[in-house]
Amino acid sequence: MIELKEVNKSFKRDQDTLKVLENISFTVEKGEILCILGASGSGKSTLLRLMGGFDFCDSGSISIGSEAVVSPSPDSILIFQDFNQLLPWKTVLQNVIYPMKVNKKYGSEQQRRDRAMEYLEMVQLADFYNAYPHQLSGGMKQRAAIARALALEPSILLMDEPFGSLDALTRQSLQELLLQIWKRAGVTIIFVTHDIQEAIILADRIIVMDNKPGRIKDIVQNSFDRPRDISGGDYLELYHRLYSMLSV
Amino acid sequence: MKNKKLIWILLLLALWQAVALSGRVSPLTFPSLGMILKALVSSIMAGELLSQTVFSLVIILEGLLIGTLLALVLAIVSRTGDTMNSFVDTLITLAHPLPGIALLPIIILWLGTGRSAIVFIIVHSVLWPLLLNIIAGFKATPKLYSDVGRNIGLRGIKLFYDIYMPSSLPYLISGFKIAWARSWRALISAEMVFGAVGGKGGLGWYIFKQRVFMDTAGMFAALLLIMLIGILIEEVFFNKIEKQTIRRWGMAEK
Amino acid sequence: MKISKRFLAGLLVLIMILSTGCAKPAETKEITIAEQFGLAYAPLQIMKELKLLEKNQPGVTINWKQMGNTAAIREAMIAKEVDIGFMAIPPFLIGWDKGMEWKIAGGLSTSPVGLVTNRSGVASIKDLNENDRIALPQPGSVQHILLSMASERELGDSKKLDNMLVTMAHPDGMNALQAKKDITAHFTAPPYLSQELKDQGNRMILSGEQAMGGEFTFIVGVTSQSFYQDNPQGYKSFLKALDEAIAYIYNNKTEAVKILSKAYEMSEQEIEEYLDTEGVSYGTEVKGVKSFADFMQRNGYISKTPKDRKEIMWDEVNYEE
Repeated sequence: MIELKEVNKSFKRDQDTLKVLENISFTVEKGEILCILGASGSGKSTLLRLMGGFDFCDSGSISIGSEAVVSPSPDSILIFQDFNQLLPWKTVLQNVIYPMKVNKKYGSEQQRRDRAMEYLEMVQLADFYNAYPHQLSGGMKQRAAIARALALEPSILLMDEPFGSLDALTRQSLQELLLQIWKRAGVTIIFVTHDIQEAIILADRIIVMDNKPGRIKDIVQNSFDRPRDISGGDYLELYHRLYSMLSV
Repeated sequence: MKNKKLIWILLLLALWQAVALSGRVSPLTFPSLGMILKALVSSIMAGELLSQTVFSLVIILEGLLIGTLLALVLAIVSRTGDTMNSFVDTLITLAHPLPGIALLPIIILWLGTGRSAIVFIIVHSVLWPLLLNIIAGFKATPKLYSDVGRNIGLRGIKLFYDIYMPSSLPYLISGFKIAWARSWRALISAEMVFGAVGGKGGLGWYIFKQRVFMDTAGMFAALLLIMLIGILIEEVFFNKIEKQTIRRWGMAEK
Repeated sequence: MKISKRFLAGLLVLIMILSTGCAKPAETKEITIAEQFGLAYAPLQIMKELKLLEKNQPGVTINWKQMGNTAAIREAMIAKEVDIGFMAIPPFLIGWDKGMEWKIAGGLSTSPVGLVTNRSGVASIKDLNENDRIALPQPGSVQHILLSMASERELGDSKKLDNMLVTMAHPDGMNALQAKKDITAHFTAPPYLSQELKDQGNRMILSGEQAMGGEFTFIVGVTSQSFYQDNPQGYKSFLKALDEAIAYIYNNKTEAVKILSKAYEMSEQEIEEYLDTEGVSYGTEVKGVKSFADFMQRNGYISKTPKDRKEIMWDEVNYEE
């Protein structure tokens, strides 16, 4: 459904040209969770931005369905690592309603409001609907951002280490939450992370990125049944395999 | 903080009164508080002080409105590309350091001495600081917000209006504060120079007239009113707006 | 609480300074004279150039100040920075009414003043309508009071023209009148008056004498009570020097024209023309104070009229009503 063909991307810094991505090709199936696992500097965030249409690749092509990605679209929403992705001048509820309103989803404000409240309940933020973003904790902000993205009913969620700055406990509960939502919404998720454990818990497939320039080292199938308990021996084996790939 | 200010004001008033009543200064130079208050009340009752104040405030509002519109247009124009950006930048560099009062002789030549000349001076004193702040606000808008905006489908003017504007509100408000202070000062000085047309010349003109008729207490009464209006706008009006917007949104520290 | 104690101490010191700081040295070694710009002040330029006051009062430094308007002169005299000031009678009366301790020391000049219009079909102030704009220096100026007097006499209400007034300095007013835009009339004095009348389209529809209903002194010299009392010798010398300066203009006209031509940066011919203008004269007699005072009191510009000439003039003044 999403197809990348021989994507290359480099950035100019002063006189130097820095190659960030080299010959990236893969496809994403509808409804799967694909994790892009790599150390920092592997170009994984850049890759995600290209897929979201926020940047152009130097060569190669990215398409969703049969259409080339040329600009950001409400059909594939990017969720950032930065907690400040909510608009500070809107309440949590307004933050969720606003994108629906821009895209003229649902006929009336009341319907949009009802839908927004549903999604806020889904991410367990209903009690905070009237709060402003600066009054929320980091985990709450990320939950609100997920609710805002889901309310648009996009077919793709692009997640750029969204739980990367959270403490371990919060991260775990958000991972569980994401999986629940994914089951209900049937959305395709491309999830960038540097956390091997996170990739194992979430992904159907894991793309392991090589460093400088970013290249695909391997694509690993992860077909353990969900929910996954990563303390088991099989998981550990996968963990070590991924770990050794990353540390070379 | 508020209380401390109040104490200082009371002390200064007491000092004033002590000097006025010391018998060493002429009431022509240093009228007592009672005389000033009496002058204030009687000139308000007579209607002139208030009608001149309204005249001044209407001019200010007009100038602020035109200045704000121009600043917004220029700010948007400056974002349409490098050429326009450098053009607007040049305009600011040239015009911003010019005090409105220094432009007076030229304005008189172009526009005469009527109301439009004063409005012109107000627009000049509003436009540049506001424009500078709006542009600074746009530049300070996190890329994150515009990414989010584009992602949910905002483009062009809508992106500008829904994302850049609210995001630069802290800058916009401080720009307005500067613009207000400058225009208020420029207005009073311009009115003192321009004189009145048909008896209407605003607060600055009122002060000048009190000076001509040697009504020192009346002069101080008008000064008092200018201070009160300044305090009202800066401490009450802007404070309230900030409380309801950027402080409520956690954006005030910027 | 330490701070407020310290503050109170500072306050006391300040009050003490303020209450002792205003004393003036008894013997005056300096005399400061304030004038304004214009040919009506011509004898003062002669006095300055020929150092007439210095000759009459050796050892005293004379300072001359040229000020932009009467209000500034008044304020300087309140601050005791100026001993002798020159101005028209109405601003003097306003100061006297407000309690300034000063009196007229003598006249200086008489000058034609008048209301000039550029609008055809206007023959008198009766023909002015609410669309007309009259430029004049400022409210309370002699020009404003004269116009109000004419308005009272001819239109029955001294304030009837007030809503048409635009405050402008003489040169600005002349430019505005010549621009033929919003300003349709200008109440002014020489040299602007004669310059404006050179234009065929302009006419004088009211002269100062018509407005007043008689002659009046245009500019008078005023001295403060303290100067008069503390420096009687200086006061006498000043009067003598003023007499000499005025006499010099009439007795040594060629020389005087040269001096004035330099002082005013005008050609000698222009100066001569001005001196020969009807209505221009220099002299120390004072005329018209009572008419001004009565009118101004009647119309609320001042609160009282002098009961006796002694209230507003030193004994030496040659006064006639």
